[in-house]
Amino acid sequence: MNLVWKLLRQHISIPQFAGFFLANLIGMLIILLGVQFYTDTQSIYNSEDSFLKDDYLIVNKRVSLTGATSSFSQEDMDDLAAQPFIERVGAFIPSKFKVKAAFAIDGVPAFSTDMFFESVPDEFVDVKSKKWHFDEQSTTIPIILPRSYLDLYNFGFAQTQNLATLNEGAFSLAKLQVQLEGNGIKLQLEGRIEGFSGRINTILVPESFIQWANEHFSDPSTPEKGATRLIMQVNNPTDENLARYLTHHHYITDQDKLDSSKTNFILRVIVGIVMGVGIIISILAFYILMLSVYLLVEKNNTKLENLLLIGYSPTRVARPYQMLTVGLNIMVLILALVILFFLRGIYLDMFKGMFPRMEIPSMMPAVLVGLGLLLLVSILNIVAVRTKIMSIWKRKN
Amino acid sequence: MNVIELQQTLPQVFASRTDIESDVWLKDVRLERGKTYLVEANSGTGKSSLCSYIFGYRKDYQGTILFDGEDISRFNVNRWVDIRKHHFALLWQELRLFPELTSMENVLIKNKMTSHQTTAQIDEWFERLGIADKKDAKIGRMSFGQQQRVAMIRTLCQPFDFVFVDEPISHLDDTNSAIMADILTTEAHKQGAGIIVTSIGKHMQIHYDQVLKL
Repeated sequence: MNLVWKLLRQHISIPQFAGFFLANLIGMLIILLGVQFYTDTQSIYNSEDSFLKDDYLIVNKRVSLTGATSSFSQEDMDDLAAQPFIERVGAFIPSKFKVKAAFAIDGVPAFSTDMFFESVPDEFVDVKSKKWHFDEQSTTIPIILPRSYLDLYNFGFAQTQNLATLNEGAFSLAKLQVQLEGNGIKLQLEGRIEGFSGRINTILVPESFIQWANEHFSDPSTPEKGATRLIMQVNNPTDENLARYLTHHHYITDQDKLDSSKTNFILRVIVGIVMGVGIIISILAFYILMLSVYLLVEKNNTKLENLLLIGYSPTRVARPYQMLTVGLNIMVLILALVILFFLRGIYLDMFKGMFPRMEIPSMMPAVLVGLGLLLLVSILNIVAVRTKIMSIWKRKN
Repeated sequence: MNVIELQQTLPQVFASRTDIESDVWLKDVRLERGKTYLVEANSGTGKSSLCSYIFGYRKDYQGTILFDGEDISRFNVNRWVDIRKHHFALLWQELRLFPELTSMENVLIKNKMTSHQTTAQIDEWFERLGIADKKDAKIGRMSFGQQQRVAMIRTLCQPFDFVFVDEPISHLDDTNSAIMADILTTEAHKQGAGIIVTSIGKHMQIHYDQVLKL
């Protein structure tokens, strides 16, 4: 056995070091669990099937009883677009003419209804189709319906009326007779269902069609109004800044997504508090360790001094205690990571039950934070031991 | 290191005294490598203080101490570690052995650091000094005379330009004193080193080039 270690391990108090070990383990575990839990929950927020994720939000102004305008001005839109958490903004343009649609089966009109069209800029449309365009020569209008209509038919209407359920493809084969009327002109066109949108809850047509049709069929005497609904692409719908901005401007969104920002904010606060407790425990554990080492150095003061006097350098004399503290820190980190691995397994099983398609993040954040803490604490330990040994050297020097 | 010089050196505790009659304090003293010196002292005249000053252990003195013309008060930690390891061996009056270790371990803890002496040489010294059977005995269980011999062996387990032995034979009989003197001088001559022996009464029977009264 190394003789220097044999000497310097005298007076090592096992209960003191066990106390440090346990306290540091608990502190470290709480910190790492906080980091890892937060990372894992963020993964749920960002997973594809997440109820919390939607990169697109549709907003409108609160409709007031006084009849004040509920449309967005150009300044409103510019201000929205300038916000860092909003990537782009597009306006809904409504049709300003009468639309009648008739659904024909085998050329015989099955039913006919008044309806309306709206458009959004093409880049916000989630149904990707090459036929999504319109020009004056076209005789067919591509239409996108809300997916909820399809669900309504398949799971509501068809079930109760003993009709066959239809998939998206079948609907695209159906022909709609669309009649546009306004400004004293009537025009018969064909409508084709291009797809169903989960994002936009309206009867959608290409923006180029709305612009063309509004120009031809709307009453020129009707004053121009701003858009009443906007679609926005946002970086992160859980961003609390977004929620704060919308609330401040009295904008409302038809989706519950913004609630998740509040959930996320509260989650962050809770994780922050838990990690704060972990950090306090770790600081206290560090304090216990330093006290133990100082006590040890005091008790072995004569031995340390004699080693220095027979030619050992302060660096060499400090090394056993430095290795002891760093070794303990490493053991604490490894054990904390092992325990974290099992604890995480328990809650991840629950998460996976709820969000089957969530991607399981790696434990890298916890490992990196743990290594960072290990490095920081070890450097402090090394410096403290060295300083203490130097004080022995200098006391009489 | 070839020369140790003391220039007007005096322990600070003696600063107010006016009756100092010494060959060392408040004098210019020159100790040369290869020569042997005896510093004779009465109790309380600062003999151990002198050891501590030259060894960089204490600085509570006035005047100047020079190693090869360099003021030792300016030496840094690394310089002192190098001096204690390679240039200056000191046998402390209070020995400074480790009671938790055996006598052999007390010697090895230094020799492993310096790798200076062979195991055979160390064994031979244990043998000659009559403590071969005590190699594995804990220092705490040995008599002071036996401990002095172990401390002497440990002192010699390093290269040195000077060896300073502070009352090395205070608890030894004449036979063991003579053996120790022989071991010390042989080892010092081998390295061409200077020897400084202090004594308050009984002193090693060796040839001294100079005797200094403290």
